[in-house]
Amino acid sequence: MPTGSIYGILGPNGAGKTTLLRMLLGIIEPDAGTRQLMGSDQPRSKSYQVGYLPEERGLYSGMKAREAIAFMGALRGLDWATGRERADDLLAEAGLPEAPRTKIGKLSKGMAQLVQLLGSIVHKPDLIVLDEPFSGLDPVNQGRLEELILAERDRGATVLFSTHVMAHAERLCDRLAIIAQGKRRYEGSVDEARAMLPMQAHYTPRRSDDGLAALLPAEAVEQKGEWRFPVPEDGMEALLGRLLDSGYGIAGLSLERPSLHDVFVALVGAETVEKMEEGAAA
Amino acid sequence: MIGHFVAQAAVIARRDFLATVATPAFLVFLLAPLFMLVFAVVGGAGARMIAESGEAAERIVVIAEGDFAARIEGADGRMRGAFPEMIRPPRLDLRAPEADPESQARALFEAEDIDVSAALYGPPEALRILRTATAGSRADYLALIADAARRDGAAGLPADRPLSAPEIELLERETATISGQQSMGFTALFVIFLLTLLLAGQTVSMLAEEKGNKVIEILAAAVPLEAVFVGKLFGLFGVAIAFIAFWGTLAAIGLVLTPDIGRILTALDPAIGLGPFLLLAIVYFAMGYFLLGAVFLGVGAQASSMREIQMLSLPITFFQMGMFGLASAAAGSPGTVLAYTAELFPFSSPFAMAAKGATDPQLWVHGAAIGWQLLWVTITIALAARWFRKGVLKSGPSVFRRVGRYLRGG
Repeated sequence: MPTGSIYGILGPNGAGKTTLLRMLLGIIEPDAGTRQLMGSDQPRSKSYQVGYLPEERGLYSGMKAREAIAFMGALRGLDWATGRERADDLLAEAGLPEAPRTKIGKLSKGMAQLVQLLGSIVHKPDLIVLDEPFSGLDPVNQGRLEELILAERDRGATVLFSTHVMAHAERLCDRLAIIAQGKRRYEGSVDEARAMLPMQAHYTPRRSDDGLAALLPAEAVEQKGEWRFPVPEDGMEALLGRLLDSGYGIAGLSLERPSLHDVFVALVGAETVEKMEEGAAA
Repeated sequence: MIGHFVAQAAVIARRDFLATVATPAFLVFLLAPLFMLVFAVVGGAGARMIAESGEAAERIVVIAEGDFAARIEGADGRMRGAFPEMIRPPRLDLRAPEADPESQARALFEAEDIDVSAALYGPPEALRILRTATAGSRADYLALIADAARRDGAAGLPADRPLSAPEIELLERETATISGQQSMGFTALFVIFLLTLLLAGQTVSMLAEEKGNKVIEILAAAVPLEAVFVGKLFGLFGVAIAFIAFWGTLAAIGLVLTPDIGRILTALDPAIGLGPFLLLAIVYFAMGYFLLGAVFLGVGAQASSMREIQMLSLPITFFQMGMFGLASAAAGSPGTVLAYTAELFPFSSPFAMAAKGATDPQLWVHGAAIGWQLLWVTITIALAARWFRKGVLKSGPSVFRRVGRYLRGG
């Protein structure tokens, strides 16, 4: 992972994202193989330089928000007084100026999640590891979190986060890895990932019948009257000529670069992605 | 790294200590022995009242007249005082004989206003005693005073005063008694056991909060599990110290106000001296707490629900009782194989060694014992953390897989 970058780990549920992060941080030991965190194979020796937001959020409900943040800082070597001061500042910046003296149990789930996130960065770590940081947050707080991640990167921290929401990864990541069934399927930048697939054509005919599909590339998929398919290697001209000659006409046509979602589908399979999206919606 | 370990354990200990002490529940916990004392006093007083009313109604009866009756009364007066109050014979009633003394004696056992447990009747040269099934000692006492009365009569001695009245001098013993030292040892053992029972048992549920609210992952990511365990043990140890300081202060005030405390303490003076003994008792309590607490913390950490934790409480209490029983047996037979076993077995060692301090003047054995116990505290915490990592966090390959890999030469 390049220092000072935002690195995403993408993968469907059960791909091994959380296990990977836990192993990296030394919470669990690998069954086989090795791992290195900031140049050390003893991850906990780097504990003071790392911040971590686990997927399963948890705080002591009886603690006040500022104490909870200071506590998480103290676990990673920050003294309590500085931790409390920074907690007040961070909460004010996050739009929660009243929160410092409020017990965690009395905060909303989203606010408590934000408090935990602030606790993971209060000691100004060099590496911030966030496991599914956007899950459970409303769109407003998701936006705040994106800003916070970018601000931490600008401060010089390296951010590593896992997600199965492509949009966040696409907007934030400098580099990413896609994993499925415990194996890495891709590693590189978002642009490099998108360049792996050809341009996508979105075509809407003026009329449609059973003969249309035979004229389109084999990968073409129809959805609500619109056909999507990769642009043929020899370009669109010949295909468009055949469509016009056959009388299907062109009601709409656009060419788009493939999205990260498309790359993800291509790497892990449409069925897996459908299951993942159904799970996320549920 | 050691500095980090200590600092991180201290953060966890601080959190646990404050989270426990700064709650109304702690006040209830602190005053819990008071409730026990109140119940014990009230219950004890009630039981004593019942016992005393029963004892007050009990009688031993002598059916006799004339000079023999007077001598019986005199002998009873002289001998009764030699018995401590707890085992003193019941009040003696003297009755004049009627036409049929045997029927008169038998009828006494049917009386409704008193409980006669033994009755003596008949001519002095052919005395008979009737008694109830449980009044063997009463009958013996009647036989004793009857014999004394007859001896006095045969010797022509006065019935109402003793033949000799030696001068009695009160002597202040300046050295401890063997039984006093053993009592001191057993008391220390019992107090340490009681405190350990009260406090170490609580460690079984200490990780339940973190597992329930998912904080365990934050801790496990930031801090070595061993530091989490040490921090948690020290957090509750702080609570234990607050508890002991409160009740210890009250007990010390009570001792200072106890009349004749100097003489009592002299009789109980431990072999290694009172100061070192008290210091060692505190150290051994700490060792016992950390040893048993680490075991219970490790066992409790495996439980996945409060129901499981409650189920674990029973075997844990049995384990503690077992260690207490072993150490108690050792305290009662110092220098035996049993005593050495209890002193060496890590989980009974703190109790047994505390008792040993009362009767054995050697100090070096305590240094060795504390080192041995510390080693086992470390081993227990390390094993508990490893078990937690393996059993709860599912970290690393299973033992079977490791064995398989080893057998395959991997």
